[in-house]
Amino acid sequence: MNDLAIWTEKLVKVYSDVRAVDGLSMNVPRGVTYGFLGRNGAGKTSTIKILLGLMRPTAGRGTVLGFSIGRDQVAILERTAFVSESKTLYGDLSPRELVRFTRGFYPKWSDQAVTKYSHLFEIPMDRPFSNLSQGNRTKVYLMLALSQGADLLVLDEPTMGLDPLVVDEFLRVLVEDVVGEGHTVFVSSHQLADVEQIADCVGLIDHGRLLLEARLDDIKSQFRLITAAGNALPQTQSAEILLVASEGSFCKYLVRKDADAFAAELSRQGATIAEVSPLGLREIFLELVRKEEACTSGNVGGIAGPITSCV
Amino acid sequence: MYFWKCWRDSRTHYILRLIAVFVLCLLVTIIIAKVEGLTGAKKGSAGLVLRTWSVATEGVLGICASLFTLFTALTLGASGVGEEFKERTADFLLTQPRRRRYWIWTGWSVGVCELAVMVFLAVGATFGTLTYLTGYVYTWRLLAATLPLIVGGVAVYGLTYLMTVVAGNGRQGLSYGMGILLINLLLPFAVYYYSKVNFPSVLGFMLDGCKWVTSATEAFPIGGLVVWTVIALVFPVAAQLVLERAEV
Repeated sequence: MNDLAIWTEKLVKVYSDVRAVDGLSMNVPRGVTYGFLGRNGAGKTSTIKILLGLMRPTAGRGTVLGFSIGRDQVAILERTAFVSESKTLYGDLSPRELVRFTRGFYPKWSDQAVTKYSHLFEIPMDRPFSNLSQGNRTKVYLMLALSQGADLLVLDEPTMGLDPLVVDEFLRVLVEDVVGEGHTVFVSSHQLADVEQIADCVGLIDHGRLLLEARLDDIKSQFRLITAAGNALPQTQSAEILLVASEGSFCKYLVRKDADAFAAELSRQGATIAEVSPLGLREIFLELVRKEEACTSGNVGGIAGPITSCV
Repeated sequence: MYFWKCWRDSRTHYILRLIAVFVLCLLVTIIIAKVEGLTGAKKGSAGLVLRTWSVATEGVLGICASLFTLFTALTLGASGVGEEFKERTADFLLTQPRRRRYWIWTGWSVGVCELAVMVFLAVGATFGTLTYLTGYVYTWRLLAATLPLIVGGVAVYGLTYLMTVVAGNGRQGLSYGMGILLINLLLPFAVYYYSKVNFPSVLGFMLDGCKWVTSATEAFPIGGLVVWTVIALVFPVAAQLVLERAEV
């Protein structure tokens, strides 16, 4: 566990009658960029809030940088920088005053980083936060997070409201200045293209459950979507077959590895293979999250248990 | 850091209130002295001097300064850490590496300091004016009378501070605090009317301390001081317990 930046086991968060996080087990290695993906209301922000002590889990346990969630909260927060989804800071403080407010909390705070990122992001340092545009507010939040010298950067929708140029600059900073220095980035985002640019690993969450956790390289090189037609096609999911679902008269299989061998096996069983296609992050996200029917009645379509292959 | 931020947030209104309380105490003391017959001369009979001191300490400090302190305490409490939830800055603040009790006690300390300075200023204005007009000094008794004013103010401040944390909203916290304070101010009259029992009120306690300054028969409200000090400390402790369990 100590070699993991984030580790959770069967994490549960229930709000009255909603299970926002439902048995989430996650392994985020140190020194990587981890994309935490999911639809609105999938449980991403609740998970982040539990990790940072803003919420208590209903059940389950976990560690952040080897420190126990809930028990070692200050130790976690000293080493973790957080950019929240709301990007709300004190409206009457200027970025310069926000720096003054924040710097004393962090032993590894860097004023050089403040200078560097305020110039890079072109932040008006003396204008009240409430008078800044949404994009500039996000930049201020990012500058504060990047200046903390944190071992782990937790970013909840960090590129929201930023123009493409700044997004590009920001992603470059994450790769070069944060991950390049051996720190870990945990980024929750809807911007799949942004995540795909920088992530080493992705975790895909839906209805509070982790559907998939895998290295992006593995997804690109090994994950395949097989479309087949035929009678009595296999319906069983496994660690290798993540999804079995129908598309018209075809059956789709999302295969984690050895796709060619599986397609050959289907052919031997009399199936006609229509297509074996590689998947990008967007495709795999859509395939796994989309509500789809089973191939034949009586069988359950959907996904198998989560794969934890980032470590 | 957080102390500075709390001070920065409150300083504009607070400084205006300091000026207001200073001017109020100064003017009302002069008016009382004139009404009592001390027309600016530093002389007068011992009885006149005592009566002027007595009326001024009860009227200026016991009523004007007390009410002003209570009003300030209510509004200061409503701008406490609980307001961060309404302003949606709680997730930023509570992810800074400090225990939650740090935010409660640091924020609370700023308000206590501000209230204490306000009371000292009110007492100083009254004391200085009376000393100038009467040529007589009630030094240590007047200093002791600041304690009930401060403790009473801090109790009401703590109440609103707690209510703001409970509600997660300064305006609601202020409403709850004002409601409870109003009940505390009115209930003693009702209780006394029906049962002839003296029910403690915070304003009555503050007034008792001021009455004692010039009275030969009144006792210093030491019992009240202990009780209200305990109450004043219970509120931030309760606020800490609430914040430690709060989810953002």
